[in-house]
Amino acid sequence: MPLLAYIDPGSGSMLLQVILAGALAVPFFFRRVIADTWHKVRGGDPSKRAEVREETDSDR
Amino acid sequence: MAVLQPRPLDFISYPYEWSFSQLKEAALLTLELQSRALDAGMRLKDASAYNIQLDAGRPILIDTLSFEAAAETEPWPAYRQFCEHFLAPLALMAHRDVRCGLMLRDFIDGIPLHLAARLLPGRTRLNLGLASHLHLHAGAQRRAANQPPPVLGSPLRERRISATGQRALLDSLRRTVAGLKWKPTSHWTEYASTTSYSDAATASKGEIVREMLAAVGGSTAWDVGANTGVYSAMAADAGYRVIAWDQDAGSVEAHWLQVRGGSGPRILPLICDLANPSPAIGWALEERASFLDRGEPDVMLALALVHHLAIGNNVPLPGVARLFARMAPRAIVEFVPKEDPMTRRLLAARRDIFEHYSLDGFRAAFGESFRIVREGPIADSGRTIFLLERR
Repeated sequence: MPLLAYIDPGSGSMLLQVILAGALAVPFFFRRVIADTWHKVRGGDPSKRAEVREETDSDR
Repeated sequence: MAVLQPRPLDFISYPYEWSFSQLKEAALLTLELQSRALDAGMRLKDASAYNIQLDAGRPILIDTLSFEAAAETEPWPAYRQFCEHFLAPLALMAHRDVRCGLMLRDFIDGIPLHLAARLLPGRTRLNLGLASHLHLHAGAQRRAANQPPPVLGSPLRERRISATGQRALLDSLRRTVAGLKWKPTSHWTEYASTTSYSDAATASKGEIVREMLAAVGGSTAWDVGANTGVYSAMAADAGYRVIAWDQDAGSVEAHWLQVRGGSGPRILPLICDLANPSPAIGWALEERASFLDRGEPDVMLALALVHHLAIGNNVPLPGVARLFARMAPRAIVEFVPKEDPMTRRLLAARRDIFEHYSLDGFRAAFGESFRIVREGPIADSGRTIFLLERR
């Protein structure tokens, strides 16, 4: 068991967050593009994107 | 210049008193606020569950000082806290046991991720969100602990994430939290439909409770042992703002789902086992107040509860009375005699050592702490409801 009392668990969290944000950004970006395009094609309101993201959920 | 005018809340509740959906809604609100803060060039500098309160059937943020101006490319400093305060307990409640929510009583700053990772079933590693924000996260913390200590005076390494990455992370957390589900299956949630009352007794009980609530004429009530809130609703209809306590997470969950949003914002269901209520916790035991030190209502209701405390938990009746007298200046208390089928069920598997458990015994025991204002015998039942006033 490492000496957890002497380290800031935040340092590991920070590093992981940077890595995850990088990895998640790519599918997130494309999902958004697809959702926007879909809405444009359908003539919908792009501000309603959030609901569409929900429907096109593919990463779980 | 904008002025923020705080509005005092009736009651401060803590995450270990919340049901699954209450904690989940608080988590989703925190993420929504962080997302809106980003849009405004700000961020939440912390993501403590204690910064959220439940008010009028919905979660609200009470710590306006959590907002600070920040560049969009800076990592979210509250990421770890969000995972420990919200994601870890919610994942444990959904995937292990809903009573894991009570662990927040021991871990005032959230459940350590390496502990949550060890307690969660292995299949949660197949859930992308939990695998990254919980299991990988716990591993990252462990690896950081194994690094050699930094050289004194060496500059802090600045880390950046893209604006899209920032939102992608929040989006992933939101999906992970939204994907956690729990459905109550306990026997208490069906209790209201499985009581031993006849229709006449139910009507009579309701009438007596309504009369007594009107006689008290207060504005706040605690319904203790509220179950899914039949009598809490009665108090709310009589104009009271009600906190509906129950020890069963399933009942509180069902009750919250029923009152949240529009239909019953005057009622706040919360978890409390009266035989072991929330203690004072934290630094010098002063960070979070105990159940008894967070104000008192005008009246408390204890309907079909005393037999559980006296016979189920072996608490002598004078002890029950003393606790009630600490809780509220007035109490509406139902006495359920030994002959009642529900009490007989409690006595079925044990020797009857409760010689003072009788109507007269109740009067004598509660008479020490309270003045008996009124007695209402329930028709077609051996039960009696007392209206009591603290001495």
